[in-house]
Amino acid sequence: MFADNWKISLRQVRRLLMLDIFGLSSLLLPGLLSSLTGGDGIFCLILGMAGGSLMLWLMQKNLQNAEGTYYDYMKDTVGQTIGDIFMIFYFLYFVTLCGFVLYQATLLVMTCLLPEGSYFWISVLLLLLAAYGTIRGIEGRARVYEIIFWFLGIPLLIMLFLALREVHTDYWTPVAASGVEMVVQKGIDVWIFLLPLAAVLFLKPFCRESEKLTLCGEGALIAVTLMNSLIYLILLGVFGKNTLGALKRPVITLMGMINLPGGFFTRQEVIMTAVWFFALFALMHTGVFQSTLILKELFHEPKNYYSMGISLFFAFFLGMAFFKNTVLLEVYESCQRWIVLPGMMGILLILLLAHRIRNGRREKKGGEETCGKSR
Amino acid sequence: MPVQITTDLKQNINHFETLFSDCADIKKRKIKIGRKLEQECYIAYIEVALSSVDWKDSAVGKLLQTLRELPEEELVSYVKGNVEDISDSQPFGTIEDAAQGMLTGDALFFLDGYDKALKIPDKGYPGRGVYETESEKVIRGSNEGFSESVKLNTALIRKRLRSPHVKVRESFAGRRTNTNVDLVYMKDLIHPGILEEVEKRLKEFEIDGALDSGIIEQLTEKRKYSPFPQFQTTQRPDRAALAILEGRIVLLSDNSPVALIFPATYNTFIQTSDDYYSRWEIASFTRMLRYLASFLAMTFPGLYLAMTNFHTQILPTDLLLSLAAARQGVPFPAVVEIILMEMAFELLREAGVRLPGANGNTIGIVGGLIIGQAAVDANIVSPIVVIVVALTALCSFAVPNEEFATAFRILKFFFIVLCGYLGFFGFLVGILGVLIHLSHLESFGIPYLAPFVGADLNGYRDERDTFLRLPLNFLKKRPVYTRAGARTRLRVKGQREENQKNKKEK
Repeated sequence: MFADNWKISLRQVRRLLMLDIFGLSSLLLPGLLSSLTGGDGIFCLILGMAGGSLMLWLMQKNLQNAEGTYYDYMKDTVGQTIGDIFMIFYFLYFVTLCGFVLYQATLLVMTCLLPEGSYFWISVLLLLLAAYGTIRGIEGRARVYEIIFWFLGIPLLIMLFLALREVHTDYWTPVAASGVEMVVQKGIDVWIFLLPLAAVLFLKPFCRESEKLTLCGEGALIAVTLMNSLIYLILLGVFGKNTLGALKRPVITLMGMINLPGGFFTRQEVIMTAVWFFALFALMHTGVFQSTLILKELFHEPKNYYSMGISLFFAFFLGMAFFKNTVLLEVYESCQRWIVLPGMMGILLILLLAHRIRNGRREKKGGEETCGKSR
Repeated sequence: MPVQITTDLKQNINHFETLFSDCADIKKRKIKIGRKLEQECYIAYIEVALSSVDWKDSAVGKLLQTLRELPEEELVSYVKGNVEDISDSQPFGTIEDAAQGMLTGDALFFLDGYDKALKIPDKGYPGRGVYETESEKVIRGSNEGFSESVKLNTALIRKRLRSPHVKVRESFAGRRTNTNVDLVYMKDLIHPGILEEVEKRLKEFEIDGALDSGIIEQLTEKRKYSPFPQFQTTQRPDRAALAILEGRIVLLSDNSPVALIFPATYNTFIQTSDDYYSRWEIASFTRMLRYLASFLAMTFPGLYLAMTNFHTQILPTDLLLSLAAARQGVPFPAVVEIILMEMAFELLREAGVRLPGANGNTIGIVGGLIIGQAAVDANIVSPIVVIVVALTALCSFAVPNEEFATAFRILKFFFIVLCGYLGFFGFLVGILGVLIHLSHLESFGIPYLAPFVGADLNGYRDERDTFLRLPLNFLKKRPVYTRAGARTRLRVKGQREENQKNKKEK
């Protein structure tokens, strides 16, 4: 049979990754970049993409060395204990990401769709949906995003095309005025938004052509950077540097400002919120799925009910904490910058080096044995 | 323990009559045969299943006539040598098997000194014959429809697919009904795994009666709680033949004019036979309409509620004012209004289906025009709600498969509740829920959303026959249901030579 084999296609992986990294980055990055970098924000996006590419390159090198799952590879390379520690690191990354995205998605719903809604019930509803999506494995999850990809993509592209009329190109200037340090700093911020690409590491057993996984990630990265650059330039051209910096979700505001020809719909930001709702849900779903998968492997659980329960509980708890105490958002941001990003890159480098050293030793040992035999 | 038929006719008759005691519809006759009329034979049949008027012209009548002209000592050898081999006659070794044979609608023949019972076919049970289909109407193409006889139905398919590769596997379902179930498929096109799977599923249950293919459908479905059917149904032999040509399997059940086709996907439910008989432009246009209809049949009332109750800013002020004016004086909240109207419509629909033809139409007119107008005049519902409900109904009628459309009719209420309380967020949650559900759904290993998902399995070629039905010469390959290596459907003669010639010239 074709389905139910826990295998997904490259197109599904690409679309999944694109939605994963597009939603949050396009929603929050323009506001973060514009006030401090203005027109130079575009360089930050490119720098972030370079960082993402570097990460993907390291991932590719490691995946080439891995014969089984990524967890097996880690255990083989650095031993069981350190492998487990690395897995816990990834679990914490994905589960906190899920909590953060849950918080963002719920806020988006409460701001744009249901102002009088309860945070508690909206987040519970979203988590239940994510659980329903996760329970039957990766195939179902990949299919959802494969099918909605163009349903979201086409209206978004049309809206962006219509928004071009409102762009004032003089708002894009001055260029190269923010200083290298600021551009690098913000470039790192962009890079942090691309970290969900780490999910590629765990997709190897589920992909039909696993050797092309990182290539898929690269494709998604380039496409999302192009989209984000387009959105950023349009937003900057429409709102200007200062207004853009003051807006919380500028891209949603833009959607409400675009006049559709014919004038049947007057303010379509409600409809267009669907794009970010689905994209954020996809990322949240990735968080739940990956953290469940990691726990399942760590606990050797045959079914994923307990792992999923724990992941969902953590995500809900974190989302609630972000909502109740916004200081935690700053802590989360700092953690991403000072722990998650270096940790993620560090693990990949350590694994690569450890694998090389181990291989070198093996080769040396093999060479000595061959010499001994020949003597 | 089955009772063996012996050479002792009296003993055989005893056993047979014990089995069929108190069965007034079964006629049993002892007849003297042979030249001197000294040998006894016994004939049993179901009253209406044998020609009573032209008894002499029937197969049984002709056999008896022949046997009356033969000497007594040659009768058994004649029956063994000649009658056993005539078309459709079948010898049975046990009383139980013989009884089953008779219950298929044929006559049974016992002969003194002969240790078997012969099934001799005749006209069989009464049936409708071939009639025009009442559902799945097409503008272009055959109007023949399946009937209640499984044999007639297989013949209607065979008539369209005159190939020795078309195979018919016979089995029986229902402990007490012994319903004949035929699996019809093209041997060189199907995935053998799918055939094995359906045969396994058919053996997994034992029910007292399988009176319609719907019972078999429900018992062999994997996801029993899904509102979406996992078998496609059809009453059209040409639709079944098209499916067989795509490497799918058709299940025909005796006494049911509805054939089951599997594997089935969302896309196959939207397709109709005349999609392939008409030009591609109109086929594509109507197919897109049907896709849109399937979406709106489920979501339109919900969307109306979300827009008018929660997100009024989307609509232009003039439209909003006219909607508000239309609702003036209506005492119910919009959700209740919609639910009331939808329930009234579903009631009308149910009443229309159950009533005889002409009355059913009357109910439609009375319900649609008079009750709708009266409800608006009495300020129970607003005119806009009548329009919304009517449009939703139109959309559900535009979905070509009744079972599939029913899924949307049920989900419509789920969307009404979600959108009524959560607005557009409810709509998004509903869509996501339905999408996740559909993405988990499979029909015999094929994803329900294929070829929109997993199209890589067939090199993305199946996408040419989805929203758009590209010109037939683009559809050279069969869909993914066909076994790999047998997917070429169309070969344009001379094209290969021309291509080679062009290559050489280059």
